[in-house]
Order: sequence, then C-alpha cells, then structure tokens
Amino acid sequence: MLQTVLQLLATSLQIGAVYVLFSLGLTLIFSIMRVVNFAHGHFFAISALIVSYGVEHLVAMGFSVLPAYLLSTGAGIAVALILGAIVYQFGLRFFLRDMEGAFILTMGLALFLDGALLGAFGGAVRSVPEIVSGDVSFFGVAVTMQRLALCIAAVIVTVALYWAMSATKLGKALRAVAADHEAAMLQGIPYGKLALTGFLIAAALAALSGALIAPVSIVSPVMGSDYLIKGFMCVIVGGLGSVPGAIVGALFIALVEAVGGYYLDSSAATVAIFVLVIVVLLIRPRGLLAHG
Amino acid sequence: MDRLRIPWWLAGGASAIAATVLIQDAYTTSIINLIAIAALTAASLRFVMLIGEVSFATAAFVGLGAYSAGVATTILDWPFAVALLVGPVLVTAVSIVFGVITLRIKGPYFTLIGFAFTEAVRILFSKTEFIGGTSGMIGIFPPPAIDAWLSTIVMAVVVACVFALYAIEKSDFGKVLVAIRDNENIATSVGINVLFCKVACFAIASFCAGVVGSLHAFANNVISPGDFSFLLAAFALAYVKVGGESSILGAVFGAIILVLLDSYALGLGAGENLFYGGAIVLAVLLMPNGLIGLVTSASRRLARARAGNGPTLNRKTA
Repeated sequence: MLQTVLQLLATSLQIGAVYVLFSLGLTLIFSIMRVVNFAHGHFFAISALIVSYGVEHLVAMGFSVLPAYLLSTGAGIAVALILGAIVYQFGLRFFLRDMEGAFILTMGLALFLDGALLGAFGGAVRSVPEIVSGDVSFFGVAVTMQRLALCIAAVIVTVALYWAMSATKLGKALRAVAADHEAAMLQGIPYGKLALTGFLIAAALAALSGALIAPVSIVSPVMGSDYLIKGFMCVIVGGLGSVPGAIVGALFIALVEAVGGYYLDSSAATVAIFVLVIVVLLIRPRGLLAHG
Repeated sequence: MDRLRIPWWLAGGASAIAATVLIQDAYTTSIINLIAIAALTAASLRFVMLIGEVSFATAAFVGLGAYSAGVATTILDWPFAVALLVGPVLVTAVSIVFGVITLRIKGPYFTLIGFAFTEAVRILFSKTEFIGGTSGMIGIFPPPAIDAWLSTIVMAVVVACVFALYAIEKSDFGKVLVAIRDNENIATSVGINVLFCKVACFAIASFCAGVVGSLHAFANNVISPGDFSFLLAAFALAYVKVGGESSILGAVFGAIILVLLDSYALGLGAGENLFYGGAIVLAVLLMPNGLIGLVTSASRRLARARAGNGPTLNRKTA
C-alpha cells in the first residue's frame, strides 16, 4: 500500500514537472499580455519534433547521444524563439490586452501550425533513443535516470524563474506590468518590449518542456493539443496569471492523472480531471491561488 | 424594435429553399447541406459572442445533439420529428447547468473550460460502448418517405433558426446582451440580471447547436467522436471572423465562402487545418471587420464620394 502511494507520488512528480514548465509559460503570457495563447502547445511540439529528428541525424553523423540531445535541445529552443518573435512582431503585438482578438488570432495560428507541422514532419509517431540509462530507487520506488534528470531540470528552471521574477530588475518589471501596466508605463517601464520578453520566455519554457518530454514519451505533430488542454486545466485550477498557482495547479492535475491512470485508465483520468476542475471552479471561481 | 427586413429574409430564405428543391445532383446537394449546417453553427457561435464570449463548448453541444438523434433513431426507434428535437432539448438543459457554473466569472475561464469540456465530452463518446465507442454510430437515416426532401428540410430548419437568432438579436433582449458585452457593470446598475441574461443567451445558442447536431446526424447518416473535436468550433470561428462579426449575415457568408473554398482546396489535396488557420490569421490581421466590414466601408466611401465630399481628414480634430 505504502509502496503504491510512493510510486504514484513519484509518477505524478514526473508528469507534473513538465506540466509546471508548460503552465508557467501560459500563465506568464496571461499575466503580462492578458491574452491566452492557443498556439502554446505548438511551440512545445515543434521543439520535441526537432529534438527527435536532431538526435537521430546527429547520432548518424557520429555524435554520441548526450551531446546530440543537448545540441538538438538548443536548436529546438532557438527555433521556438524565432517563431515566437515572428508571431509577436507580426501578430500578437496588435492584440495586447485584447482577449477575444488574441484568442482568435492564436487559434488560427494553432490550426495553421497544426497543418504546417503535419505537412513538414508527417503524421507518424516518433521516439527518441535513451539519453541517460539506468535506474535509481528511493525508498523502494524505482525511477529511471531519464525521468529523474527531467525532474531535476524542471526544478532548476522553475527555481531560477522564481528567483528571477523576485530578485532581478527584469523580473520586477514583469511583475509591475502584470500588476498594473499603466502605472508601470508611468514609471518608464517599456510595456511593449516587456511583453515581447515575456512571450519569448514563455516560448522558451514551452520548447524546453517539449525537449525534456521527448526522450520519455512518444513524439508526434499533434502532441501539443493534449498538453495544451492539460495546461489550461492547470492554470484554471491554480488561477490564471499566478506563478505559484501554475505550479500548484500543475502538480494537482498531475496527481489526479497519476492516480486516475493507475486505478482507471488514461482517458477516464482526463474526464476525472475535468470534473475536478469544475468542482474547484464552483468553490473558488478564480482558481486556488488567484488574487483579486 | 428595429425593422426586421422581413421581405429580404423571405426572399433570401425562399430562394435558398427553392434551390434545394431544384438541385438534384447528389454532390451539389451534399455541399449545400454542409453549407447550411456550417452557417447555423457559425450563427450559434456568434450569438454567444454577443455577450463577448467565445464558446468552444459549441462543438460538444453539436456532438451531443448528433448522438441524441443517433440514439433516438437507431436504438430507440423514435419517430423522425421527435428524434430531431430530442437533441436540442437535451443540449439546452446541459448548457444551462454549464452556463450557470462557468458564466459567473469574467475573463477567459469560460472559453478555456469550454475547450476542456469539448475534449472531455469527445473522450466520453469514444469510451461509451453502446454508442459505438471510437468508431461512432452508423445508419442514422431519416424515414424513406422524407429521404428525398432531407436537404430541403435541413435548409428550412437552418433558415428558420438563423432568422430566429436575428430577430432575438434585434429585440430588446438582444440589446441587453450587447450592453452586457460593452459594460457589465452599467447593465447591473440599471437592474438587469446579468447572469440570467448571459445564461439565457448561451442556452438559446446551444439549442441551435443541438439542432445543428441533429441535422448533421441525419445528413451524414454516420457520426463519430472525431467529428466533434474543438476544431468544429474553431472552424465556426473562422466563418464568423472571415464573414464579419458585426452581422449575422457575416457568419452565413463566411460559412458559404469558406466551405466552397475548402471543398475546392480538398480537391487539391491541401491540408484543411492549414487552410482554415491561414484564413483566420489573415482575416483577423487584414480585415478585422470581415467581408461584411469591407462591403460596408466600401459602400460608405462610395456614398461619400457621390455626395461630393472628399476624404475629410480634419474630422477627427473638429
């Protein structure tokens, strides 16, 4: 019994690690730009796809697996950043704080990227070879090294982001803009520039989580939608725009998914998540940790 | 109450219905069915946009309507008219519960929850064995006597529903909805029960979504969970945005143009998502008011040119 509980906790932390990074991006975009990005899942999918192709080609060229993976991850994040800059410069820039307009724009973008990714990469499901091998076990719970590395990477990035948001000048400016963008602009904070910065950070987070999930999951052009739906659930439960909320929400959703997946099956778990989100909304309409 | 332009609607509706009677070619008829169904989906989605919300739950409600018609016809053997109506009634009931929970909060929660709801309902369909699971339901046929007239019935129902939505929008209730979108607090301050009006608007739109589902089931004869993913609502959004949000005719024109272009594009083998996504992005960036907006601004410019006024740059400063 205890064994099962520990195993489930370990599983939910592994799932949660990726959800946290993904939801942090969504919530960052929302708090700064007051829009929801429906194409967020595609930044994630593009990076995972690039990693899966990059590792294959680099290994074929004679690289060993780990450097090949790190290089492809860098490439995935770079492509996501370029795409993010294009999307912001030619689209989202005109829809700051325009919830409905941005909804529609990013929805269209998501459909477009869906078609583009399917055209470019084909619909086939791909996988990435094992990057680090071996198992470790804590208190009798076995965890593969890959998943442990994933968790550690996610924790480091989350802590770094948290620190950056509270201690650096950029982080303080981002928080000021999120709290009241007009007051922030009166203090000389350039809103447009910060919105771009926030959007790029979010794109990088999505790309990083895509690269992290690629070795432990199957990779396909349509994988983004699943994570997008889960990411929405996470930020709704936690409270849109709240950084701690995104973390708590992501861990909550991951726990439900792990427990539901263990006792029922994965699609029943998805339905259970939805029911629980409705319950949370009934009790706390703005999510668990939202303010105002 | 505004003039409802009833003669125009009668003429337009009658010619649309007459077209379905005159055209016997099976392929053309199927395209006309697609257009009619798409137009009502878009009109339903746009009706919720009157209160400033984008409802992805529309796709789930269309699915619920279609599956109700399917169960009523193939399993319960209910008569055609009842099977046609049971979906919309059920959907309206579900949408009221859904709306009371989700419409209390302003902001993006409604859209996000609708998005998640659609996916949850789709999974539920594909996991329920008695309605066919992942492969869906087959053999949802109208009675043989009606079969030849199905396209006419579809068009008549769609025209009636679209006109009803138009009439409601132009009524006092419709003005209340727009007032809520513009400023909820002002609406509350003059004694309007905002939540009630929002839920009523959502329920009316969802009834139409249920009708869309029933018609879809009978027009297609086959339904499967994959037909009712959030993409259905996203496509409807494309119709509304390309056609123009300011008028219900925008939704109808958008549906006509995009479905025609799409059936042409499919012949070329181009990706459907690429096509619709590109259409939405371009429409939002280049013509924020849609085709209807282009037409009205062009006709206004024409009228001004005729009146002899050049472009009046100073009007803003005056």
